[in-house]
Amino acid sequence: MTELSHVLGDPEVCTGCMICVNVCSMFYFKVIGPEWARARVIRLENGLDFPLFCRNCEDAPCMAACPVGAITRTSKGILVVNNRKCDSCGACVTACPYDAIHLTPDTRKAVKCIQCGECVKRCPVHAIFLTSAADLSKRDPEGRLMRLHDRHSAELYDGGERL
Amino acid sequence: MHGVGGQVIWVDLTKGQVEKRPLEEEIVRDYLLGVGYLSRVLTDEIGAERDPFSPGNVLGIATGLLTGSMFPQSSRFTIAALSPLTDIWGESHAAGFWGPELKLAGYDAVFFRGASASPVYLHIEDSEVNLHDAEQVWGMGVFQTDDILRKRHGRMTRVLSIGQAGENLVRFAAIMNDRDRASARSGLGAVMGAKKLKAVSVRGHGKITVAHPEVYLTEMDEFYRRMLANPFTPGRAKYGTTHLIELMQHIGRLPSYNMRQGVFEGYDRIGGDAINECYLVKPRADWSCLQRCGRFTAVRTGPYAYQGGSPEFESQSSLGSRCGNANLESILYAHHLSNMYGLDTISLGGTISWAMEAWEQGLITSEDTGGIDLTWGNHESIVKLTRMIALREGFGDLLAEGSARAAVRIGRGSDRFVMAVKKQEMAGQEPRAQKSMGLAAATAARGADHLYGFPVLDEVGFDDDIRERFGEKYLPEMADRLNPKYKGIMVKECEDFMVMIESVGLCKYGTQIPPEFYYDDVAKALRLHNGLEVTPAQIQLIGERIVNLNRLFNARRGITRRDDSLPRRLTDEPAPNGPSAGQTVELEQMLDEYYACRGWDLVSGLPLKSTLERLGLSKDALN
Ligand code: SF4
Ligand code: SF4
Ligand code: SF4
Repeated sequence: MTELSHVLGDPEVCTGCMICVNVCSMFYFKVIGPEWARARVIRLENGLDFPLFCRNCEDAPCMAACPVGAITRTSKGILVVNNRKCDSCGACVTACPYDAIHLTPDTRKAVKCIQCGECVKRCPVHAIFLTSAADLSKRDPEGRLMRLHDRHSAELYDGGERL
Repeated sequence: MHGVGGQVIWVDLTKGQVEKRPLEEEIVRDYLLGVGYLSRVLTDEIGAERDPFSPGNVLGIATGLLTGSMFPQSSRFTIAALSPLTDIWGESHAAGFWGPELKLAGYDAVFFRGASASPVYLHIEDSEVNLHDAEQVWGMGVFQTDDILRKRHGRMTRVLSIGQAGENLVRFAAIMNDRDRASARSGLGAVMGAKKLKAVSVRGHGKITVAHPEVYLTEMDEFYRRMLANPFTPGRAKYGTTHLIELMQHIGRLPSYNMRQGVFEGYDRIGGDAINECYLVKPRADWSCLQRCGRFTAVRTGPYAYQGGSPEFESQSSLGSRCGNANLESILYAHHLSNMYGLDTISLGGTISWAMEAWEQGLITSEDTGGIDLTWGNHESIVKLTRMIALREGFGDLLAEGSARAAVRIGRGSDRFVMAVKKQEMAGQEPRAQKSMGLAAATAARGADHLYGFPVLDEVGFDDDIRERFGEKYLPEMADRLNPKYKGIMVKECEDFMVMIESVGLCKYGTQIPPEFYYDDVAKALRLHNGLEVTPAQIQLIGERIVNLNRLFNARRGITRRDDSLPRRLTDEPAPNGPSAGQTVELEQMLDEYYACRGWDLVSGLPLKSTLERLGLSKDALN
């Protein structure tokens, strides 16, 4: 299988500008609206800004939870939602441990980051990048980034509730 | 129209009623949104006889047409009301996320009239707009208020609120949003306090549609590319505005010792490098901001420990050099306290430094201060007074009135040391070292101010931009900051441009310094985002219209040329030392040129009939 990749951000570099979020909603829905974006940005009170994306999990709880098989993995290893099959039940939303998939307010279809890189190339401070487990261990051998994410998980993820 | 919420909220606090109205597109056509829209609505709403603290004062908050867009630095919104500090037109602006969130909730502006009998806050969540009891947060600082309201309404709720200073009617109280963004000038926090309005919290789950979605992203890419390629951007990212301390020292423009002089011997201890070395955690940005001048800093130990938003140049100079204070941790901390209490740091430092000079002259003694020592640079006193002013305790109660009123109370000739115009303390721009800043402070509608006109093109070699914006014939004089010639023309142009920028919700960084985006870019953005077909000349005229309307608002309250003055020190006493030694501000000469190109009467300083006709303001003329 191809190596699974996903977008990850550095909360110590991210300025919190929301450009990635707006790029995503504009690229896919032709509107500016964080509720339509596949990325989120959360600013914490200690100076950290977390740009958050789908982790493209190997075990993919979202896919497992979908009762109609709307979520599948492409040959490139990307998990995608089939819009026609998705029946808006929200099971994936509850299943995802990272609040990385949600239903948009109007279409009520599940959307998640598909690692297209549109936001990555526009981040003005290069705080986000496409990575994989192997790449990350080279980039960040000390594990600083995942530790930061783990340490703040209670503030970042709320079991499907969009904060 | 695209890019707008399309609705305006009117709250009558006396009756506890909330009403939604459609956005008046005919006003937008003539004034855009933001400060232009507020100027039109509030000039019609606020009668000349009103008192700033009376229920008759109307407080308006408006986003700009591009607020919440993807244009670089498009987060801004404006707040306006009759100012309790100056008793004339009051406005202030801030960045952050509150403005875009209001748009996402479906609204462009919120107005408050009347006054509540008990503390309330307004919570806006999409179509739900309700007043809530604010008893629980009244008396609390800005950060705690933010914590509590976001706990109640959701983490992504954006909160705008006053701290204790606004509640206590401190005349230079700020309104804060997103914790550390400040609408600071004009004392509008005290207007909220008088209305018993603690906060306005917003959560919007909606979307902002744009007029030309098919090309929107690629057009924005080009704006982003230009902004990032601007030679100014790396420095701004590295220092924000903190490095201006070093730059201003270098040209003798760093207000020190209550503006007695423009150089400060301790400048390198309070400058951008000193902050970066020990206290900077990282640069932070507001919505769609590529410049990232915001800073997050921390002092880790000692009496001044904190973490949070960081001072920019104005706070550094007002709490630092202006008070003869080279203790950086105390500056950072007093700034942090100012955010928490909700205070304008410019007026705070300006008022304390007035008291320090009066103390040095023996006009204020420890009998007046209750034992507080006001020797230059006493940082413990600065920090203590910040709290006492916000809470109106002891000597702080007097200083909470601002330097102009405090000097009247103290008497003894202490008014000689008030560095204010129209009762508002001057910002950190020593005008003897840059004449245009002196003129801009004298003419600004909200009293002493550097941002209303923000004439920075003569600051450090923007000759090419002067050539482009004005023409070859004004060089080299216009680019020479010590030469008063052509500064009237420049300040007029800059005022018209800057109020237009505040009406579309963009930042002065990126438009004025660095001067990357100009009228043509804004007109293009208005077409792409809002679908507004306007020419650069049309929005330039709108800017001029707004400035004239602000002038008429003030004229109704008695403002004439006589009030467009500067403290005597700056016009009569040559700068004593530093690179600008020997300079004074040739104000009257610049004013003549300014009024002439404005089409204002040279004696009264009021718009001529023909000017008002040209701008479509005849019905606003004074009788
Ligand atoms: S674009 Fe970059 S800096 Fe801005 S919020 Fe996204 S990750 Fe952070
Ligand atoms: S949506 Fe959530 S569960 Fe599914 S792959 Fe992404 S992070 Fe994992
Ligand atoms: S990588 Fe693509 S899909 Fe994922 S958040 Fe960025 S723009 Fe959206």
